[in-house]
Amino acid sequence: MNTESFGPCLLLLLHEDVFAVISCFLSPRDICNLILCCKSLCELVDSEKIWLAQCEVVDVLPLVDIIQWRVGISSYKALTRFLVEVVKPLVGIWVHQNPDLGNVVYVMPGFLSVVGCRIIPQKVGPSWIQEGRVMWSPVFEIICSLDGSAEFFLHGREIKGSCVYPGFVMGIEKSCNVLLLEVEPMQEKSEDESVFLGKKEGQFPFYNLDFIDRMNLLGLVTSHIGIHVPNLSRERLFPSSKDDEAVLLEYRTMLLKMHKFGGNWKHILEKSSSSKSTPPSRSEIIHSNRQSFLSSGNTFGLSLKASYIEISSCQGWPLMNVNNFSLYKLPIKNPVDNQEYAGLWGGTFGWAPLKSYPEDTPGKALFLLMLTYEESQEDNERHLIATKILEGNDYVKYPTGSPLFDVNIDTPSLEPFPFDAYGSDFEHYYKGEGMADSYEYEYRYPGLRLGSLLVISNDLLAFVWQETKHVITLQRLNLEKILKKGLGSCVSPLPPTENFTYMNRSYRNVFA
Amino acid sequence: MSSNMIMLKSSDGASFEIEEAAARKSKIIANMIEVECVDEDKAIPLQNVTGNILALVIEYCNKHIVDDDDDVATEEASEEEEEAKKKKVDDWEAEFMNSMSLETMFELLLAANYLNIKSLIDLVCQTIANNIKDKTPEEVRKIFSIENDFTPEEEEEIRKENAWAFG
Repeated sequence: MNTESFGPCLLLLLHEDVFAVISCFLSPRDICNLILCCKSLCELVDSEKIWLAQCEVVDVLPLVDIIQWRVGISSYKALTRFLVEVVKPLVGIWVHQNPDLGNVVYVMPGFLSVVGCRIIPQKVGPSWIQEGRVMWSPVFEIICSLDGSAEFFLHGREIKGSCVYPGFVMGIEKSCNVLLLEVEPMQEKSEDESVFLGKKEGQFPFYNLDFIDRMNLLGLVTSHIGIHVPNLSRERLFPSSKDDEAVLLEYRTMLLKMHKFGGNWKHILEKSSSSKSTPPSRSEIIHSNRQSFLSSGNTFGLSLKASYIEISSCQGWPLMNVNNFSLYKLPIKNPVDNQEYAGLWGGTFGWAPLKSYPEDTPGKALFLLMLTYEESQEDNERHLIATKILEGNDYVKYPTGSPLFDVNIDTPSLEPFPFDAYGSDFEHYYKGEGMADSYEYEYRYPGLRLGSLLVISNDLLAFVWQETKHVITLQRLNLEKILKKGLGSCVSPLPPTENFTYMNRSYRNVFA
Repeated sequence: MSSNMIMLKSSDGASFEIEEAAARKSKIIANMIEVECVDEDKAIPLQNVTGNILALVIEYCNKHIVDDDDDVATEEASEEEEEAKKKKVDDWEAEFMNSMSLETMFELLLAANYLNIKSLIDLVCQTIANNIKDKTPEEVRKIFSIENDFTPEEEEEIRKENAWAFG
């Protein structure tokens, strides 16, 4: 072929700035394919400028943060790797079924990290959003090390106080919807180092062990690897002002050191489990499964895995396996044209923030709601459905994951609004049904009652039950912004395994 | 509409007459006009652009000057009209880029960069990117006539280093 007649590759004639513009239309994968083409192209493409542009292409972190994060990492390429592998797939709201009051974990960017924050079921004052007052508790962190690889730390509480539990990130699928906390068998390489040497052929998977075995293993591992961290506070987890950088860097260095040297990885389970006088196993199979799992490593560590699993769901709420130490991602949509109310909303019963309340008004239960659009099979019309994902009362009246209201969103009602709405100016309203108001009806007989959704603005909605005139006012929620504002309080976490997924079915606020 | 005309002269001596408003799409020419170093009768010499490429640049500028004027004039235009107009421009741009060879495309990009015409740079860059996007290294090498000078071992090493991007 006449490849030589073309002379040097046309791409090599371009100035780096111009190439940076081309790279904005490409993905990290495309860039790596270009690097593989030839040596001179590799030289042109594998540069800080191109990878900085790629950090922006991933579209998960604002440019100011990208530049701030660069101080603790070897290159923008390493940062792109962390953004692609960890931040992009994990950021969002994760939930578990039990208890209905408190398993909502919001994963957000920290500082060279992602941080999982449990939103505590709580009561809030009328201007909680503006003031950024939300109670939360740390669940886990994934820290980006110098070369862009990821280190996992579970948070938890022991008698001595708050602890972190170092572990491994065992793979994050790009479209993951389940986060699994597991115990991973490892081979001890030398005196000081335990490493994960890849899955053995036919290794018995952790998730197939009996529930009690999994719980015991997690309990045993965490009881050996916890490291006490005094004075854990928001300033150490995510930045809110320039001054935080030193504190953040110091905390990050400490964690990375812990991961390298600490954690008493060794001798965790090796003898204790197998030689312990094991209680009589419920069946031969459970026993042999346990033996098979334990024989695949001579030491054990904690791991986090993010997988994609085919899950059916009901009105956006995933139908979960309630016996797994796992969190499920909620498919929260961003508002788009024709679906302007989709997304995460927070609300309280009453007309706040429309009506002014005296300052000493007691707080009201915080509701987190996911608003989604669905095409109805019955009438072929679009419905806006509000799914309850958190309720701040001490007892829930009906389960999380059920709809709070369901309105016909394509046809605004033309009738005049039937009652006083505190003089609030609303654009239009839609008719629908709301879950029977919890103050009036029994848990045993929940049912739908007529009601209306008032659109006060694109960021402010109110649902009014026709019969009782009770109202819940909803405001669009940016949890990251609220948590970073930092006026809310950071609550001490639960014991480690429970802190990841609270499994006991209690219907009661465990933080109350 | 302003009917002020100015002359541009390519590196190979061809002269082109262009409306001032169209020429102003180039930041370089706009600057020259601002500081009044453009003589009414004299052509602006563009040493780095050949005649055939300059003709393409002018075709692009003439097409887009009309659109920019419309943007200001018809604010009350309906959404549908806006969409129809945008589609018309998109179609024209696709046809415009389709009509040229890869080599011409690169020359046009160098010219757009020299003349500093942001929207044209973006258009050509996106077209070039489309020839790279979702393609294997083998396909990219073929399109851009690149000779692979990596040994299989080196290639394997790079693949391993960047495994995170391919996952």
